[in-house]
Amino acid sequence: MQQPAAGDKSTAVPSLYPCQASLAADLYYTHRIIEDPEWSLATVPHLTELCLQHIVHNFEKNPILDRLLPQHQRKVLDRLSTGLPLAVTANLISDEDYWKRCCTERWQVCDISNYGDSWKRMFFERHLENILKCFIPNSTDPNQVLELIPLCKDYVRKLEVDQFLPPVQVDQKEERDDLSDTGSDFGFGTVSMHHYDLGVLITALPHLEELDLTYGVKDCGMNFEWNLFNFTHQDCCNLAVAVKMCHNLKVFKLTRSKVDDDKTRLLVRHLLDHPCLVELNLSHNLIRDKGAQAVGKLINRSRLETLDLCNNQIHHLGAQALAQALAENSTLTSLNLRLNCVEDKGGEAIGRALLTNTTLKSIHLGSNNLCEPTATLFSQVLTQNTTLANINFSCNHLGLDGGKQLLDGLADNKALTEFDLRLAEVGQETEYLIHQVVWANREAARLGSLQHPPAKPL
Amino acid sequence: MRRGAGAEAAAAGGRAPAPAPAPALAPALALSDPGPGPEERIAARRRRIAARLDAKRREALGEDAEPKVAEEEEEQRRSHKQIEESRQRLAKLLFDGTQMVTNIQVAADLRETQRRAEEAELKLQRVEKLENEAKSSTSKFEEITSKWALAKEMTIPQELWQLLNQQQQQCALLLEEKNKLIGDLQQELKNKDEQYVQAIKKQSDDIHLLLERMEEQIRITLKTYRHKLLQIEKAFELERRELLDNNRKKWEKAIQAHNTQELEYLHARMRKVEEFEKQLNQLRVEDEEEYNSMKIQLENDVQNLERQLQQMKAIYQLNQEKLDYNLQVLKKQDEENTIIRSQQKRKLNRLHSLLNNLRTKLAKQEKQFGEENQSLAADCERITGQCEEVQRRMRHFAVSDAEKFTEVWLMNEEEAKGLMRKALDADRIIHTQQLGLPWEEPRYWFLNNVGPLGHYKAKRMATKLAAEVLRESSSEGQEEEGREKKEEVGSGEGGKENTVKVEDRVTPLQNISKKTAKRILELVSEESGFLIESKLLRPLHVLGRHERTLMKLDSIFAALEIDSEDDLYQLVDFFLKYKAQEVAVSQSQGSPGGEDVTDLAEDREDGGSSAQRDELKSPRSSLGSLPSVYIHADDILKILKAFVRDFDKLREKDGSAKEVLQVRDSSKDGEYWEALAHVIPEPTLKLWDALAVALEEYYEVLTRRASLLAEAAVLQQQNSELCLLLEEYVSSGVNSKLLSPPTRWMDLKLPCAGEAR
Repeated sequence: MQQPAAGDKSTAVPSLYPCQASLAADLYYTHRIIEDPEWSLATVPHLTELCLQHIVHNFEKNPILDRLLPQHQRKVLDRLSTGLPLAVTANLISDEDYWKRCCTERWQVCDISNYGDSWKRMFFERHLENILKCFIPNSTDPNQVLELIPLCKDYVRKLEVDQFLPPVQVDQKEERDDLSDTGSDFGFGTVSMHHYDLGVLITALPHLEELDLTYGVKDCGMNFEWNLFNFTHQDCCNLAVAVKMCHNLKVFKLTRSKVDDDKTRLLVRHLLDHPCLVELNLSHNLIRDKGAQAVGKLINRSRLETLDLCNNQIHHLGAQALAQALAENSTLTSLNLRLNCVEDKGGEAIGRALLTNTTLKSIHLGSNNLCEPTATLFSQVLTQNTTLANINFSCNHLGLDGGKQLLDGLADNKALTEFDLRLAEVGQETEYLIHQVVWANREAARLGSLQHPPAKPL
Repeated sequence: MRRGAGAEAAAAGGRAPAPAPAPALAPALALSDPGPGPEERIAARRRRIAARLDAKRREALGEDAEPKVAEEEEEQRRSHKQIEESRQRLAKLLFDGTQMVTNIQVAADLRETQRRAEEAELKLQRVEKLENEAKSSTSKFEEITSKWALAKEMTIPQELWQLLNQQQQQCALLLEEKNKLIGDLQQELKNKDEQYVQAIKKQSDDIHLLLERMEEQIRITLKTYRHKLLQIEKAFELERRELLDNNRKKWEKAIQAHNTQELEYLHARMRKVEEFEKQLNQLRVEDEEEYNSMKIQLENDVQNLERQLQQMKAIYQLNQEKLDYNLQVLKKQDEENTIIRSQQKRKLNRLHSLLNNLRTKLAKQEKQFGEENQSLAADCERITGQCEEVQRRMRHFAVSDAEKFTEVWLMNEEEAKGLMRKALDADRIIHTQQLGLPWEEPRYWFLNNVGPLGHYKAKRMATKLAAEVLRESSSEGQEEEGREKKEEVGSGEGGKENTVKVEDRVTPLQNISKKTAKRILELVSEESGFLIESKLLRPLHVLGRHERTLMKLDSIFAALEIDSEDDLYQLVDFFLKYKAQEVAVSQSQGSPGGEDVTDLAEDREDGGSSAQRDELKSPRSSLGSLPSVYIHADDILKILKAFVRDFDKLREKDGSAKEVLQVRDSSKDGEYWEALAHVIPEPTLKLWDALAVALEEYYEVLTRRASLLAEAAVLQQQNSELCLLLEEYVSSGVNSKLLSPPTRWMDLKLPCAGEAR
């Protein structure tokens, strides 16, 4: 009973007075302990404890934290309620444990590795994302977002919004236009179908580095309407202007948002000469050749390293434009053209570009209706290029001959570490052999990386 | 992996050329492994690299160590191999797993592409179909519409009805076809919906499969990882145990060696200790002796020092007393000094105040004296004024005194002369009447003298002189002579010189002939009329010529400030000189005239000269003055100007001389008066004395006789009176009343009283 108290005394050095008082009380009460069986030290908590408790209770009105001693801060933080208003806590508390509690109480799944191992950042990013996801233009108060800006602007680095709700009026119209077909509804709603304009928010976040947007509605179920998924031209304009103003942006993802050629060109026009942009992801959109040409222009007018255009409708013209850009480019390291219709013409163009290119490390040409000619050209690429490490030809019709040619080309190659030829109709034997070669290359690369990095000092 | 490398490094360290630190190094490494500090790790890595390089070098140098190394390497590689093997297996597992998982995606992609291809095909077909349909339907519609035109031409109702029927049928056919197409499309839509549902199902299946696979993959990988980890750990433990054993053995060996060495050291130490003890004892004895001697010496020293201390104390006491006394004295002095200082201060203050007072006083006095000075200056002025006044008065008094003097002189002279005359008369009477001798009146020079001796003639005023000159000019010759004579008569033996002097002064004018002087004066009066006031000029006309010139001259002299006789003489003289200078060359006669003038003066000095000579000379001088007549009227002004210029100088020269001349010579006065007093000579006086004595005697006799006569007369009178009185007394009644009447007694006394009287 007395031992923990003594321990407390020894720890509670700074509050000398209450400590001594309690000591005196101890001495005084020692006589009575025997007589009074109901006596307990626990009934009288320390003054520091009481103070801390008081601070915790009144933290909202009178937040005292910085002036406390470290161990007291710890106690206060452990006891603080997670429901305190953000205006109080946002800029005052930087303790990770507190924010961890906030996060885990609010969300079941919390993968901190996606948020730079910072609970606070995670909390604010997800909080902001939630607000944006539930934001309904013209009905939700825009101050809800604006008030949050000063609180979270120092912590938000990434915005991942996979849902933008359209204005509410549409629902009423929907009811009225239920009888008519969806086409007319499409034309009717364009005027008032604009989503929330991110410009104000994004430009106010100085540390924003990654932006992952999807203009669409999740879990609509039986309420599905085409116009729920309408990324309007106005939206595109707003977004493009906002992204241009956002100078620290490194990663920009705009997926599943019905981005067509015009919008792509609009976006690209605003993204030209962007100082930081490294990754661009426009997958699962409706980009055709013109859009691809615009993106090709962007490749050489920016610092893009990663470009993802998978699941679009790029045909050989767009692929040729991209290939042309690729031939001159020296920054792009990864290109993804999965699920397009590049076909042999585009594939050959890209292959030719890769003969001269020395920076690209990874290329994905899966599901592009490629045939033998591309394979022949790529066998040549494999013999010449020494940077390319990852090629994906899955789901193409390369044929047995194409596979053999690739195997031949791979014979002298030491750089390639991954080569995906699944469902490419190259034959099991060839695939196995290629796998062996690639495996050997990978081992060699691993050994090389083992040899070299330890030589470097930590 | 790293730990394995560490073990390898440790082994390499064991192989290193320096075998001694090896046993210590190994446990250190073993200890450092569980808690890997960054520095230790760096150090370990360096060692590893060094070992590797060493190994390479050795390989290059020779194969001597090769078999051993190979052996050891084989032994060491056990854990390594284990790791490699498990790593490869795991990598394969991972690859397979990802392959399995991604297979689903790839399959989905393939399906999607296939679907797309089919879709595209179907779409094409559909579009073709629709186009065909549209074409056919439009052709049919055109056919129908063309028949409408035909129908208008129809007139026969049956035909029309038939046509209409046909049309209806065709329309129905068209509609049917359209409806069929719509039905087909709707069927297709339904199919698509079903396909969509199937696709969704398929997708969910895929996702399920994916999840399953992923979970399975995770499970398997976890399991294998754990397994492999265990295996690796086992391998490592084994290795560690072996290493520990090895090291322990080495350690024990080293400990044993160390123990033996320690024992040896101990023995050596014991021996040395004994030796040192012996040395110590020896040293102790020596030191004791030394100590004793030292002690004695020091005690002596102490005694000496104590004695000195006592002495010092005594001196100290003495000095202290002295100093105390001095201190007292100094304190006293100090007190006195303070008193004196305060006094001095007070004095200083007092003196300061005094000084201030004096300063103020000084200022006051200065002011006062300034005022006084001013007043005195004023006084001085006043006094000088008074002085001047007094001088003026004095001059005036001098003049009056002189007058009075002459008057007194004359009076006294008169009186004296009267007395003298009386004396002479008495003498004459004595001589003639008493002695009966003839008396002759004595003749003395002073008897005729009137006025004070040596008294200059009062200077005549210039105008008077001028008037005189003018007047005399007419009766010139005679008057001069007369005057000469008069002088000759007047001059006696001693008075001659006096007259000579007087004459001397007059000479310049005198020897300039009156004529010339007159001539000059007349010229002056006429030519310098401008000097005369105009008021005066008018009444002058009434007067005669002579008077007019006089008046004119008077005013001219007033203007030229010519007051005295001398000035006039000078003026005339100046005229003549000027003329003489002018005419000196041409007139040879003028110069002998000048010489004559000097000659004349010499002659005068010689004393009384003959009147003849004078007379002879005067015409000459008149001759000499002839040329002056020719003085041109125009020159007068020039001459006057020059004269006025020189005249001032002359005046100044005279100024002092004039006053000296005023002082009279009174030396002869005494003589004069003495002579007057002794007018009766000595023998006569003696005679008088003897006569006087005789007469005195005669007089005495006479006086005695006279007094006796008077006495007799008085006595007679008294006698008569007394007789009367006696008669009276005797006759009175009183006498009868008395017992004894005085008459008895009176008879006796009365003659006594008469006798006494």
